[in-house]
Amino acid sequence: MNHALTIYWRLLGVQLRSQLQYRLAFFFDVVAMSSTIFLEFASLALVFQRFETLGGWTLGEVAFLYGLEELSFGIMDMVFSGFDPSYFGQEIRRGSFDQLLLRPLNLTMQVFGSKFVLRRLGKIGMGLAVFLYAQTLITVTWTPAKLLYLPFVVFGMVCFFGGLFIAGATITFWTVESIEVMNIFTYGGGYLIAHPMHIYQTWLRRLFTYVVPAIFLNYYPALYFLNKPDPFNFPAIAPFVAPLVGILALLASLAFWHFGIRFYQSTGN
Amino acid sequence: MITVQNLQKHFKLNKQYRGAWGSVRTLFSREYEVVKAVDDISFEVARGELVGYLGPNGAGKSTTIKMLTGLLVPSGGELAVNGRLPWRDRQAYVARIGAVFGQRTTLWWDLPVIESLELLQHIYHVPNGRFRQNLADFETMLELKPFLNTPVRSLSLGQRMRADLCAALLHDPDLLFLDEPTIGLDVVAKERIRQFIRHVNRERGTTVLLTTHDLSDVQKLCDRVLIIDRGKLLYDGSLDALQTRFGGRRELVVDLAEPYSDVSVAGATVVARENGRVTYQFTREEIGASELIGRLSQRFRIQDLAVREPDIEATVRRIYEERLLEN
Ligand SMILES: Nc1ncnc2c1ncn2[C@@H]1O[C@H](COP(=O)(O)OP(=O)(O)O)[C@@H](O)[C@H]1O
Ligand SMILES: [Mg+2]
Repeated sequence: MNHALTIYWRLLGVQLRSQLQYRLAFFFDVVAMSSTIFLEFASLALVFQRFETLGGWTLGEVAFLYGLEELSFGIMDMVFSGFDPSYFGQEIRRGSFDQLLLRPLNLTMQVFGSKFVLRRLGKIGMGLAVFLYAQTLITVTWTPAKLLYLPFVVFGMVCFFGGLFIAGATITFWTVESIEVMNIFTYGGGYLIAHPMHIYQTWLRRLFTYVVPAIFLNYYPALYFLNKPDPFNFPAIAPFVAPLVGILALLASLAFWHFGIRFYQSTGN
Repeated sequence: MITVQNLQKHFKLNKQYRGAWGSVRTLFSREYEVVKAVDDISFEVARGELVGYLGPNGAGKSTTIKMLTGLLVPSGGELAVNGRLPWRDRQAYVARIGAVFGQRTTLWWDLPVIESLELLQHIYHVPNGRFRQNLADFETMLELKPFLNTPVRSLSLGQRMRADLCAALLHDPDLLFLDEPTIGLDVVAKERIRQFIRHVNRERGTTVLLTTHDLSDVQKLCDRVLIIDRGKLLYDGSLDALQTRFGGRRELVVDLAEPYSDVSVAGATVVARENGRVTYQFTREEIGASELIGRLSQRFRIQDLAVREPDIEATVRRIYEERLLEN
């Protein structure tokens, strides 16, 4: 495992070097990536010009939620690039996965090391900017406990969406065509939890509470950070299960992933 | 070294559905057809051998290699390499073998060749001294120098194959699997690759199993050939023996000076006749060429003639087409 980790860092270093080789192109990539998020957030902010609040939340509060999600999703998108279903599915079709199987290294580590999209820094930076902008609009009463918990919330979301990426990649062992369906969950899920979730219709909120427990990743922690009352009367622990939900989702996906590899070894591509 | 017994690989092909939810239906569908890619094959390969695995496209060559390299789990039969099952304990197994799949590269697309090789050095724990020595050897033999610093994506097919061969051998594997190592290459590049494979087998004692649909690979390289078609092993032995067994039909082409109505002759069969040109087929066992020519010249006035020796290519083609080896 140690060996695999060393190789992982090497692969990472090699990729960073080649991605930074053309500085200007890289710079524009980062700018392009952050401007999409900027525009997305700007259009959200415009809504507040007319309605002042969204489900009773002010722009600052929504920006808090939105920034935290974009930041986490961006980190995930960078670290889990190798598992991005649309990339991984392509690799399967090209037979590149066979080449990973031929190397005496842990497979999961190899997929992690196979791609690392540094320009996602644009998305991460923009998410962070929105999150900091929120601090200028509202006064969050930060306590040491809150500050300590914040990275765990990010961690939970990274694990959770990373798990979705891994599950999506695994499905491409069976079929590459369902990538679109999988993207509904990843990107759609990301979009949903970037907004105050009590604004959604009951069935949708229940789906993302009981089936896919994404409501605990961002919305509940935000209630805690912003000292807002829980409209659904969950137990007081609800804001604190985010890292657990993330880890469980990741573990479940990894189990599915290993099952998928065994399937691949019996069917090929 | 390699033991294969009644090896099978059957693929189930699910019925494909179209439309938006088609892929989901395909996923859960129970309807399928079975492709017997490898069907009950047995053979053994001893240490130090250089064996050719010959067959037309779709014969099951790659599928066999994939099972031998641990990429695929067989659906039946037994397969052991050095007493090991390749797909069990994958990492330990692949550390001891080398493999090159002709259409794919094991190198990193965006990296200069040398950096890929250095990464592989670390992956396979090759000591520095050994790495440098091997690299120096391969560099000369494969003429890698001119493109060592070129990114893999900019290499020609021949250069890429040479780099891949080097990459597969840096860790001194006992066993080398090559799937169509000469596919798509021109004659000169093919020859270079063949020379290298021969060298690796003779000088380094590496056991080599290579697949090809190109007979000349086998002719020039291998003492032993396994012929496979439609998943079945048709032949296991030397090409010469194959030629004596099936390639016995020689041809005599005769240009007759006058038209004759009956051109038949004892000991040979007429296989083609066009204007004054007649083609006879005969076997060494039945009649010698000079005797046949003697018989013909007694009956006809002959303008010109030529004897065509059967070529191995035609023999192998006949084996596939007429399924001579199947029982
Ligand atoms: N992963 C797979 N799934 C389904 N069928 C396959 C798969 N791989 C190969 N086949 C089929 O098995 C047969 C043998 O293929 P292959 O071993 O690639 O032949 P060769 O390498 O001799 O050209 C072909 O009919 C091919 O279509
Ligand atoms: Mg093939």
